[in-house]
Amino acid sequence: MKKELFANPDLCTGCNRCTLACSANKEGVFQPSKARMRVTNFPLRGFSVPNICFQCPKANCLEACPTDAMFRGADGVVRLNRDLCSGCGACVTACPYGMVEQDAKGIPYKCDLCDGDPACAKECHSEALVHAAGDAALFQLKAAQMKTRHNSGTPLEKRHKIAEALKKNSRG
Amino acid sequence: MNLYMGKMLVVDLTAGSVTTEPLRAEWLREYWGAWGLALRYYTDAVSPEVDPLAPENVVVIMTAPLCGTMVPLASRMCLVSKSPHTGTIFESNVGGSFGPELKYAGYDGIIIKGRACAPVFLKIDDDRVSLESAEHMTGQGIFETEKLMEAAIGAHGAKTLAIGPAAENMITYSMIGSESYRQFGRGGTGALFGSKNLKGIVCRGTGAVRVADMARFLERTDYYTKNDLLCDDNLWAKTDGTPILVEVTNEMGIHPTRNYTKGFNGRKEKLNSDAIQAAKLGNRACASCPMACGKFTRVNSAEIEGPEYETLCLGGSNCDIHDLEAVIRFNRLCDDLGLDTMTCGSTISLAMEMTESGVHNFNLRFGQVDEYLKIVYEIATLSTERGRDLAKGAKHLAAKYGAEALSMEVKGLEMPAYEPRGNFGMGIAYATSERGACHLRAFPIFATDPHDLEALVSDVVDAQNANSIKWSLGFCDFWGTINTTIEADLMSAGLGEPVSAEELDRAGERIWNLSRLFNLAAGFTAADDTLPKKIMERPLEGGRHEGRVFSRADLARAMQSYYELRDWSAKGIPSSRKLAALGLDTTIL
Repeated sequence: MKKELFANPDLCTGCNRCTLACSANKEGVFQPSKARMRVTNFPLRGFSVPNICFQCPKANCLEACPTDAMFRGADGVVRLNRDLCSGCGACVTACPYGMVEQDAKGIPYKCDLCDGDPACAKECHSEALVHAAGDAALFQLKAAQMKTRHNSGTPLEKRHKIAEALKKNSRG
Repeated sequence: MNLYMGKMLVVDLTAGSVTTEPLRAEWLREYWGAWGLALRYYTDAVSPEVDPLAPENVVVIMTAPLCGTMVPLASRMCLVSKSPHTGTIFESNVGGSFGPELKYAGYDGIIIKGRACAPVFLKIDDDRVSLESAEHMTGQGIFETEKLMEAAIGAHGAKTLAIGPAAENMITYSMIGSESYRQFGRGGTGALFGSKNLKGIVCRGTGAVRVADMARFLERTDYYTKNDLLCDDNLWAKTDGTPILVEVTNEMGIHPTRNYTKGFNGRKEKLNSDAIQAAKLGNRACASCPMACGKFTRVNSAEIEGPEYETLCLGGSNCDIHDLEAVIRFNRLCDDLGLDTMTCGSTISLAMEMTESGVHNFNLRFGQVDEYLKIVYEIATLSTERGRDLAKGAKHLAAKYGAEALSMEVKGLEMPAYEPRGNFGMGIAYATSERGACHLRAFPIFATDPHDLEALVSDVVDAQNANSIKWSLGFCDFWGTINTTIEADLMSAGLGEPVSAEELDRAGERIWNLSRLFNLAAGFTAADDTLPKKIMERPLEGGRHEGRVFSRADLARAMQSYYELRDWSAKGIPSSRKLAALGLDTTIL
C-alpha cells in the first residue's frame, strides 16, 4: 500500500527535530529555514503545527508552472526538474499552503518525501508526523488540513494562517 | 567554522551601538561554550567589585557549540553576570529555541554593556541588528512584550527574550522570559535587563550551523540518542516531567512543606504527577528535544506550560496551597509579570510563617489562596507596603523584622524544593554552590545513605565539576546519564578534531574554580558557605527523617572535607597548586 505523510498537530511538541533532520538531509547543514516541511509554534497556547506538503492530487504548484519544470513522478510525488525551471516563482505563489519556497537564486524547493523514506517522520518521537499507509482518522486529519487554502501572502504568512485556524479548532 | 558561528554581538547601550567581534578562539578549548565561555568573557569585562545594577556591569549571553544541531537536549543558552540578588557570580540557563535562532542569525553570543537613556529592545534579523525604542512596551507583561517584539520584526515565529514590570522595577528576583513559559529564572536576571533599560531581544535567524562530517555526526547522535538518552533512567522526563518529583521527594521525606517545617505533605495527591496528567492538554519540548518534558495544562480557564516541580512545591506545598488551579494562576502571574516562581514562593511562605508566628502581620496565611495570588501583583508592581517588603526576597525581608531564624536561603538565594535535613548532600550542595542555594550544581538525592557526609562531599564535588562542563556544552539536566566520554565523542564528530573526556573534565573543574575566585574577590568568604539557621537548629517534622537537623558541627566537618577534596585552604581559597594544574591565571580577574 502506498505510504503518505500525515501530520497531527495535537501531538506536536514543537521540538523541530523534523526540520533539523530535513535540512541536514537536503542541505547538509542544520538550517530549519531551508527545511521542506516546517513547524509553526504558538508557545503561549502550548500548540504547534507541522506544516507539510500534501503532494496534492490536483497540485496548484504543478499547474502554475509555465515550463513544465514541476512534474509528478510515478510515485505520485511532485518534483522539480531544475534544468527546465526559469525561476519565475509562479509555483511559490500558487501553493495555498506555503510549502514551496525559492532559494537565493530563485530556484524553488519543496518536499519530495526523501524518495519514499522521509527523514522528518523518522525523527518524530511524538507521532505528530507519520509516514504510513494511513487509516480513516489520518485521512480525515489530512482532509481537514487541506481545506484551509490561502492564495495570497508569503509562504510564511500562509503557513501561519493555516496553523492559526488549526489552533483555533483545537484550543479555542 | 564547525559548530560555532565565530562571531559575538557587542551591544553598548550607553553609546547606542551594536557591533560584532570575532569569537575568542583561544578560549574555546578551555571554556567551550555557554556557562564556561560566558564566564570567561564576563571576567574579562568587569571587576568583581562591580555593582550588579550599575551601567558598568556587563551581561553575557552565550550559546553552546552543539546548540542548533540534532544533538538532543544540547541547546540550552546561558546568561552570566553578577547577581543583584546574591552579589555572587551567577549563571542562569534557559531552554526553548532562542539559542538555536541566535546561531542561525550568525552569532554565538551577545555581550551587553552600559545603560540606555530610554527603554529599548534589541532587534536581530540575521545580519541586520538594531536598537529600537521600547517606550510603547513599558509596563507591559512578558507575554504582550513578546507579541509586540515579534510584530516589530514582522515575522511569525521570531524568538524572544523579554522582561515584565517586575524587572523594570529592578526587583532582585525578577527574571527574563522566553517563548512565554521559559526563563533565565533565578538570581535577578530580569533586573539586569531592567537596570540597562533593555526591555527585550527579538531574533530571527535563517542561516546554518555546520558540522565537520554530517553523516558521521548524525550516526553518533543517533547512536547516543537511542542507546543512552532514550533509556529507562531518563524516560521519566518524557512520561511525567518534573512533577514526578512530588511523589519521589515525599517518599524520601525531603518535600518542603509549610516554609520548610515539614518534609512530607499529607495532601500531595492534589499536586502530584497524576494531578498534572489529569489537567494536561499536550507535551511541549525545547528545540531538538525528543523528551518534551513540558506538560501544558489547563484548569478551568487557567493555562500554563507547567507547573514544574519547583513551583508545585515552593508555590504549593511550602505555602500549604493544595489547589492546582491556584498554583497554575500563581505560576502564570509570575511568568507574565516576570518573577522567579522559586524565590517568590519561598518569600511568600516566609511571610506566611512570620504572620502566623506573630513576627509581623502581612495578612498572608498558610493555605489562604486569595491573598497568596494578590501578593504576586503587589510584589511585581511595588504597589503596597507588604508588596515592597516581599520584593526584597527572603534574606532582607527576614532581616528587616528580625526573623532570620525563619529565612530559608544561602548567600541570599532561596532554597530549592529539597530538604537538606533529610539529605545532607543537598545541604552540602546548597552551601558550596557559587550562586547560593541551588540544586543544579549537584543533586545527590538518590544517594544510598543520605546522611553519610564523607561520601556525599565526594558526590557533590564530582557532580559540580561534571555539571560545570555539561552546562558549558549546553546540555540539559535531564540527560541524566550523559558523561564527558559521550560529550567528547559528539564534540569530536561535530568539530572534526579529537576532543578528550579528560580535557572536558579538567575544563569543568577550571570553571568551578574560576567562579570561586570571582566570589572571593567579590568579598565572599568560607563563612558564607553555610546553611539557614532553621536547618541547623530546628528538627524536621514529619516524613522519614523526622527529628533530624543538619548541625553546625556536621556542616563544619563537611566543609573541611569539601575544601580538602578540592585542594582549597581551610579558608576555602583554591591553592596555587590547584590553579596551576588547571592552567588558571588569577590575574584574569
